[in-house]
Formats: sequence, structure tokens, C-alpha cells
Amino acid sequence: MGRIKAIIVKEFLHILRDPRSLTIVFAIPLIMIFILGYSISYDLNRVDAALVDLSQGRLSRQLGRAFAASPFFVVRMRSEDGRGALSLAQAEDLLRRGRVREIIVIPADFARRLSATGRSEIGLVIDGSDVNVANLVYQYGERVLMDFIAAMTGAGQVLRIGTKVHFNPEARSQFFFIPGLVAVILLMISAMLTSLSVARERETGSIALLFISPLRSREIVVGKTIPYILVALLDGAFILLFARFWFGIPLRGSLLVLLVFALLYIVSGLSLGILISTSAPTQRVAMLATMLSTLLPSILLSGFIFPLDSLAPVLRAISYVIPATYFLRIIRGVVLKGAELRHFLFEGGMLIGLSLLLLAVASRKFNRQRKAAQ
Amino acid sequence: MSGPPPAIAVRSLSKNFGRFPAVRDISFDVGREEIVGFLGPNGAGKTTTIKMITGLLKITSGTVWIDGLDSREHPAAIKRKLGYMSQKFSLYPLLTALENIEFFGGISGLAPAQVRRQAARLQEEVSPVILRQKVQDIPPGIRQKVALFVCLLPGPEIILLDEPTSGVDPEARRRFWGEIYGLKTGGKTLLVSTHNLDEAEYCDRILIIHNGVIVAEGEPGELLRIRKQATIEDLFQAAIRDHGQD
Repeated sequence: MGRIKAIIVKEFLHILRDPRSLTIVFAIPLIMIFILGYSISYDLNRVDAALVDLSQGRLSRQLGRAFAASPFFVVRMRSEDGRGALSLAQAEDLLRRGRVREIIVIPADFARRLSATGRSEIGLVIDGSDVNVANLVYQYGERVLMDFIAAMTGAGQVLRIGTKVHFNPEARSQFFFIPGLVAVILLMISAMLTSLSVARERETGSIALLFISPLRSREIVVGKTIPYILVALLDGAFILLFARFWFGIPLRGSLLVLLVFALLYIVSGLSLGILISTSAPTQRVAMLATMLSTLLPSILLSGFIFPLDSLAPVLRAISYVIPATYFLRIIRGVVLKGAELRHFLFEGGMLIGLSLLLLAVASRKFNRQRKAAQ
Repeated sequence: MSGPPPAIAVRSLSKNFGRFPAVRDISFDVGREEIVGFLGPNGAGKTTTIKMITGLLKITSGTVWIDGLDSREHPAAIKRKLGYMSQKFSLYPLLTALENIEFFGGISGLAPAQVRRQAARLQEEVSPVILRQKVQDIPPGIRQKVALFVCLLPGPEIILLDEPTSGVDPEARRRFWGEIYGLKTGGKTLLVSTHNLDEAEYCDRILIIHNGVIVAEGEPGELLRIRKQATIEDLFQAAIRDHGQD
């Protein structure tokens, strides 16, 4: 125990005195959450749309005003020189140039067919080059049209859909992404702390003195992990507080529950870092390898952006061994839904399993590397 | 009746890095309470050999015995006998000298009180103020002294010093060799690598290594006499030349 304590004290002193370690711990998460928190979003505000009114009647103008009044669209109805109504060709040109995302086409016989047959058609031409944006534009357009029809026919008095969105009533995608970002960043920072620590020892040559000391490999691994658990927990709390007060992300569940799961999650990250460090000859390589092996899988394959159901079976199988997959569900559940410990027994079990597995593999590989020299 | 085994016995030791042979079939002994100088230019194979002896580098072929124990069969027992000071001193630059001493004492299993007692000895020689400075801020000569002190903390019988005098001034070098002498008289065995050929005069015996091969071995004065050379530098050049002609 005395030997492990010596490593713990040394690591703490090093963290406190090394500006690079402190930058990794506090500045990188802050920069990442700030940039990604604002840049990753499903929200579309004020989409540019072109309205081609071939009908030029009272009803079509009403519809044009409905689109213009909606909070979703900035509607352009006049040609670029402002001399007349926008033609279909001009609108298509705007769509091709990316100046508008959608063209709303009101046909010439719109009012006549509606009064004659009670039916008519409106065309929505959507820029499909970005599928996510196209889907949102379609939904927004449909919503404006539904409201317009309901107002016009009085259908709204007969049938109303009572919708209540739980946990995120304003449907802010930041509420969805930022807790996920906390998970992604925490894994990266945890892994980076240990991978850099071991790689630094290798670079300076001090690892040789550890290797020829009576220390057992598992003592080195445990001694290097314990101080960083505390540092990473502190870091996690720091990121969460920033998310809470800067982005207004609510914390509806128990902080203690989150802390328990975060502890398991951090151990998996720290073990992963030690595993990476066994193959990294320098700090630079360790940093790059850690970023690649934590950021890519936890962003792409954990459910952070894409639902796991949409992944190919092979990728979905990989997602089961990514710690972020489980912690993402936990943090979103605790933060947004106020979920409790009992709701995440499976995820907690998986995190324990992954942490133990990674810790065992890291210790074994570290030990093998040490013995390979002998 | 045979006497005790040599402190270090190296037989047919080789190390290849890929296809590059860094050390080629070398054999030598280091006797007890002897200072053996391991001389050669940079890249000659000194550090590689020392790392194989300490167990830090895997041996390609050959055998190393430490105090009669095969290094591959008794790594743990050998660790207790060996002290190693690396070329870069390998202290933690952001920790103070005292913190380094406490750390290395701690991982060697020494009780904190024991470490403090030993550190007090160093404080008699080096100002306590300096020992409380970060290692990165103290002069190379003191750093070297602290590194040696750390190496000696667990009380090893056999000490391997890899280029301990590189980067320190001549006065510090001279003082350092004085300390090495003190260790020898205290019963320690020392293998000291250096590329400073003038340091051969401090050694009981020298090994000259070039391109991974030992090209001369013996007591410095005797080697000079046999090879009819005036200085170690001349001896070194002649040994390399003769070896090249073999």
C-alpha cells in the first residue's frame, strides 16, 4: 500500500505543477463543450424559402402570409430585382445556389380546384442534399400547411391533437446533445490523462526506474489510476456545471446517482488510456491515439448523434463495447428525465464489466510489456 | 575450490534491433568491489548492454548472471541486487529533489522515516534549500548527485551507471568519481559507462566497445603498456583500428 501511495502522491504533485495537465483537465473540455455545444444542433431557425404563387388569388396570398408569419421560415416571394413575383425558374435557381432550402409552389388553379372539388395541391420542392435539414424543412412546411388548412376549414374545432413533449418541451436539441457531450469529453479526458502520464514516463526514461523497482505492474496501474479518478470526477463536475449554467441544461435527477455511474465510466476511460499508452512511444502519439480511439467511437457509435437502431449490425455490435453507449443513456436519463439508480442497473452492470475488463487487459498488457524486456 | 561468482558475468550477449545488430556476442565479467569503466563513443552499444543487464531490454541471445543468478530465471531477486542510474538521470523534473527521493524511497518499499533519515545525509552535503527546489531548476551537478542518491536508496550491491557524467562540468565530474570511489570502498561493485575516455583513469578495469563489439579489455595501465600507447585516446583509436583489421 505504501508503494501505491508513493505513486498517488507523485501523480498529484505532477498534475498540480504541470500546466499541460491542467490545460487538458480544464481548458480542453471548456473549449470543446463551448464549440460543440453551439455547433452540433438539430434545430433550424428561420429557414430561407421561396414562394412561387402562380395563382395570385386571395387564398394563395393568405397561404403566403401564413408561411411568412411562421417562426420557421423567411419567405421570399419577389424576384431578385424586386420587380415582380418570383417565377418557378428563378426559385429553382435560388434552390440550386443554396440561397433557399425549400420552394413552396402554389399552382395557378389552386383556388379554383379547391372551390370546385374541395381538394387542391400545393408543391413543396425541398433541397435534399442534406437529408436531416430536408426532413426538418418538410416537417416545418407540413406544420404550417396543417395549421392553414385547420384555420380555413375549421377542422381544428373537430379534431385537435393534444401533444405534450416530456423532458424537453421546447424540443431544444442542446438538451439532447450537451449531456452527451459531457459523456464524450469525460471519456476522452480520462483516457488522455493516463495515456499521457505513462507516455511521459516513457519519454523521460523514468519508466525504466519504475520497471526495475520492486513495484508490481498492477501497483503501477492502480497507483496511476486512483489520482486521476478524482481529477476526472472534478473535471466531470466542472463540465456539468458549465453545461448547467451556460447552456441552461437542467439537472432533474440526483447528482449522487450520476456520480456513482460517472465513477465507473471514468475508470473505464482511465484503463483505456493505460491500454493505449502501452503502444504509444511518445506523448504526441498517445494524445492522437487517445483522441481517435475515444472521440470517433463515442461520437459516431454510441448513440450520441445517430440512434443505435440506425447503425449497421456490425457497428451496433461494436457500440456494445463502447463505455459511452451506456453512460450516454445514464446521463441523459438522470439529467433530463430525473431517472434513478434502479433505472440503469443494466447500464451500470455493463460499465462495471467494461471497466474491469479494460483494467485487466491494461494491467496484463502493461505487465507483458514489462516482462518482454526481461 | 572455486571462489564466489563474479558480480556480473556476461556471456555471448547479443542484441538485434530488427536486422541491426546493436551488440554482438560480447562476454565479460565484473568482479566484486570493482569499478569497471564501459568506454565507447555514442551508439557503440553501452546503453543497450547495460539495459540488457538490468532487464530493461530483452536479450536476443546470450546470458547475464548477476551474483551467480541467471537474469532470466531470477528477475525479482536480481532487481534487489541492482541499482541503475540512467543516462537522463530520470528524475521527475516538476518534483523537488526531496520529493523525488521520497517517491523512489516509497516505491522501493522503504518506510518514510527511513527515507527521511537517508535524505538527511544528503542534506549535509547539499543545501536543504536546493533540495527543496524543483529538479528542473537545480544545476546538473546536483541533479546527478540526487540521481545517484536515489539509485542507492534501496541499498543495491551492484550499481550500473549509464553515462552519469554526461552534461556536467569537469569539477562536478571529478567530485562524482570521488563518490564512486567511496562506494567501492564501501563494498559496492560498479559498472560505469562513459564516452569521456579520460575517465578511464578512475577505473580498475576498462571495457572498450565499438560497433557493438568489445575491442579491448583490461586494467588501463596494463593495456597502455601492452598496446604501447601513451594515452587512453590513442589506445582507443588503436583498438578500433586493430579490430577493423581483424
